[in-house]
Amino acid sequence: MKDQIAKYAGKLLADRSALAGRIAIAANDDVLLADGDPALVRLAGSVLDRLNCLSLVVASPAVPFADFLVARAPAGDCAIVPRDTETRTFLHDIPFLRANDLEADPAARIAQLLGSRKGVVVEGVGIIASGALTVEQAYINYSSVFHATFVKYLEDLLVEGFRLPGEKEAFAAFRTGWLRPLTAEGLVFRPGPLSNPDEILDEVTTVGRYTVERGLVDSFFGNISCRSGDLIYISQTAASLDELSGCIDPVSFGNTSTTGITASSELAAHRRIFETSDAAVILHGHPKFAVVMSMLCEEEGCPVTDCWKDCPKVRIMGGTPVVAGEIGAGGLAKRVPPVIAGPGRAMVYGHGVFTIGRTGFAEAFNALVEVENWCRTEYFRRLALQGITG
Amino acid sequence: MHGWTGTILKVDLTVGRIWREEIPAELLHAYLGGRGLGVRLMRDYFRLDPFDPEMPLIFAVGPLCGTPAPTAARLAVVSRSPLTGTICDCSAGGRFAWRLKAAGLDALFITGQSPTPVALAIDGDSAELLPADTLWGMEVKESVHALAGHGSVATIGPAGENGVLFANIIMGEGNSVGRGGLGAVMGAKRLKAVTVDGAGIVSLADAERFEHARRDVMRLFSASPVIFGELGIARFGTPALVDLMRQRRMAPTENFRKTVFPASGNYSGPAILRDYQAKNDGCFGCPIQCKKSTPQGEHLPEYESVSHFGALNGISSLAAIVKANTICNDLGMDTITAAATLSAWGEIRGRFPSAEEVPALLRAAAGRYGDGGLLSLGSRRLTEQLGRPDLSMSVKGLELPAYDPRGAYGMALAYCTSNRGGCHLRAYPISHEILRKPVPTDRFSFSGKARIIKIAEDTNAAVDSLVACKFSFLGATLEEYAELLSATTGTEFTPQNLKEIGEQIYLTERWYNCENGFTSADDRLPERFYAEPGSSGEGIEVPPIDRARFAEELQKYYRIRGLTPEGTFSDPTYLVRQP
Ligand code: SF4
Repeated sequence: MKDQIAKYAGKLLADRSALAGRIAIAANDDVLLADGDPALVRLAGSVLDRLNCLSLVVASPAVPFADFLVARAPAGDCAIVPRDTETRTFLHDIPFLRANDLEADPAARIAQLLGSRKGVVVEGVGIIASGALTVEQAYINYSSVFHATFVKYLEDLLVEGFRLPGEKEAFAAFRTGWLRPLTAEGLVFRPGPLSNPDEILDEVTTVGRYTVERGLVDSFFGNISCRSGDLIYISQTAASLDELSGCIDPVSFGNTSTTGITASSELAAHRRIFETSDAAVILHGHPKFAVVMSMLCEEEGCPVTDCWKDCPKVRIMGGTPVVAGEIGAGGLAKRVPPVIAGPGRAMVYGHGVFTIGRTGFAEAFNALVEVENWCRTEYFRRLALQGITG
Repeated sequence: MHGWTGTILKVDLTVGRIWREEIPAELLHAYLGGRGLGVRLMRDYFRLDPFDPEMPLIFAVGPLCGTPAPTAARLAVVSRSPLTGTICDCSAGGRFAWRLKAAGLDALFITGQSPTPVALAIDGDSAELLPADTLWGMEVKESVHALAGHGSVATIGPAGENGVLFANIIMGEGNSVGRGGLGAVMGAKRLKAVTVDGAGIVSLADAERFEHARRDVMRLFSASPVIFGELGIARFGTPALVDLMRQRRMAPTENFRKTVFPASGNYSGPAILRDYQAKNDGCFGCPIQCKKSTPQGEHLPEYESVSHFGALNGISSLAAIVKANTICNDLGMDTITAAATLSAWGEIRGRFPSAEEVPALLRAAAGRYGDGGLLSLGSRRLTEQLGRPDLSMSVKGLELPAYDPRGAYGMALAYCTSNRGGCHLRAYPISHEILRKPVPTDRFSFSGKARIIKIAEDTNAAVDSLVACKFSFLGATLEEYAELLSATTGTEFTPQNLKEIGEQIYLTERWYNCENGFTSADDRLPERFYAEPGSSGEGIEVPPIDRARFAEELQKYYRIRGLTPEGTFSDPTYLVRQP
């Protein structure tokens, strides 16, 4: 289990979601194992001791958006309620504790909140997330909270502007320091079409790793597939896109076998896309600016309240169609296939981006990068239009 | 009170007395219902012989039963198992549970032994014992048919009447109260059936909050490939696992001598769907509908049954497997134990039963005649009597289901720590070791498994007390179910609370078992799994389980549970300190 602690501490640094020196991970085997910043380790141990779960990540996020959300929240609020689909589905909401509500030993209060939710924000400390079964799960939950607060803050900022002392400067630092140019430069793709199973597995594994390395997913989630004859090679559910070796299911179009029951929850969407377009490969990621922009809708007087699942429209953003639809069997599989064939790309409201490649992954990957870059540029353009510049 | 009725119906069959009592609210809050409540109610009885007339047979619903909470129209039946001697609870879905609640009851507590066969008929506030001489001897379907008009039925078949140690109680719609032989406990009481009808409605403390949580659950079901995915159990039923277990090389074959059965494709999920035009079936009110039946309404076998009548006995004919399953259901017998006992017997004889022989052998077991006399005892007693106890593939006398422990080490540990013997459902590590839910774990590693199994056992004890179906948790989590429970009852429950309640239930069960003489010596897999490899191939090595590593993880488990190295309690006051 110690190797797991080291591995996921490393991932928090590699994905730049946590500040170096401000990370602690604790895991309960028959004894408590922990590593990281001593003060955070003490807190992690003390919280974990009170919970019936295996692991805990305590870390300060590399961007201060979670703390800003807490500070900006109205006095009576005690939870952040993001609107993106992943959070709605898997986290529901994110409880927080304000710095001035923390007692000398805040562990009991934090444990109480974590008794009901997978992750919490503690102002001045960071994000604390639990993993019921594995260290990886705590890392995933940390990443999900990081992603959710990131997206929510960008959304709020566009509407409300800066409201806190130091916020503008911190945002400027984020823009110039944390954000990096997003490109596919330097990446090597096989030209395709791919037909050799070993080549397919290798290419899917490689491209999966690229999406994580270039920050096109939250934690390491997303999915990726390649069609070859009667088979779809698709990443498994809950698979790390940067570690896909051994985690790719070959699924037959005819459903003659159910070994693919472990395939991605988006198998239905991938299958329909293959059936209704000339796609040879599909990529699906959750790049942050695309998630933010997909939720911006200027429609006035619209009667739909649950836009993320009920919006019947196809909106166009930068040439990319945007549709609504829940994860898995919940609608996305119906709404994405009809719009993706022409442009080769589609956004799902509050969720992420699907792209296709007609031969190999280069086209799909470049499309994913283009969509995110367009969304990023458009986001900052809109911020500037509002007079909000950081 | 919201969620609960606060009432238990007690029946003394010896004297024919029936009366209602209140259940203290503290007890309901502390044990929820279902398995937890049943286990608590066993406190004064757990030492009795399972066939002692005073041994209770408890039917208990949970606080979510009667609400639209997904998969919550279920109950637990609790008593002491005649097959294993352990405390035993079985969860079953169906209208029976719903109607028991609608009759104003959280539980039904039956003791005594009737001088003649009877049926207990509950209709709203009234209840009576009806003579059942004419029902005695009937198979399940006939019995259900004969009781039509009395609401929902739970009945035993000939196996239960004859004291087959793995007899089931079967619900009118075909759901089994399986494993452990509680049908034989019912038979020993000469209680052929229970019928129940009622019109009560469960009120929700906060309907809006409830609906919000219900939608959260449904969204998670939709997002789960195992549930509503294209290849999931809603479409193919649990036989969706056949291909997966084959591919993972962990499908128990020929009494666990091998772990791959080349002909398993004959009874895979797609094969059953194709050959039988299977239609959706399933527990009342459940949106998943994982059970399948023929267009004529014959129930098709679930994963455990197809695999054990198939691979475990070397039978490749789907028709023969379906027939064996139907016979077990008609006679009221547990399919896993029936098939595993046939398989152990087959290995001892040097010949597994042929597809043609199986029906007659099952009938003989239910009637306890000929070879059936031995078969009716389950594999442990059968192999002991034939001088080959090593060939019973069971833990604590409960036959292992269709997940070879050499292919999933959490499963190996969980078979041994389960309080009702070798059962996959107590901790259900298949969820993460194979199905990758909620996150994948390394199936060939013991690392962290002691803690994971302990947490899952606690969680599932709570789930069995709500009562909800385990399959819900291949998508949803206790977070959403705690919300449903809070919204139903008006009392705040958190996932952490529920796990603590589950822990208390688990430890109470373990206490009963320890008092009845169970120790770490019973927390052990059959020798075969430490000595013989499974069927390696296709790049997957299936070695024997490392005995020392297994023992080390078991000791970790005891420490995490606060037990002694012998797996017993160091604190003699544990039980009396519980509510
Ligand atoms: S999932 Fe299957 S077993 Fe569970 S309640 Fe639904 S139909 Fe019954």
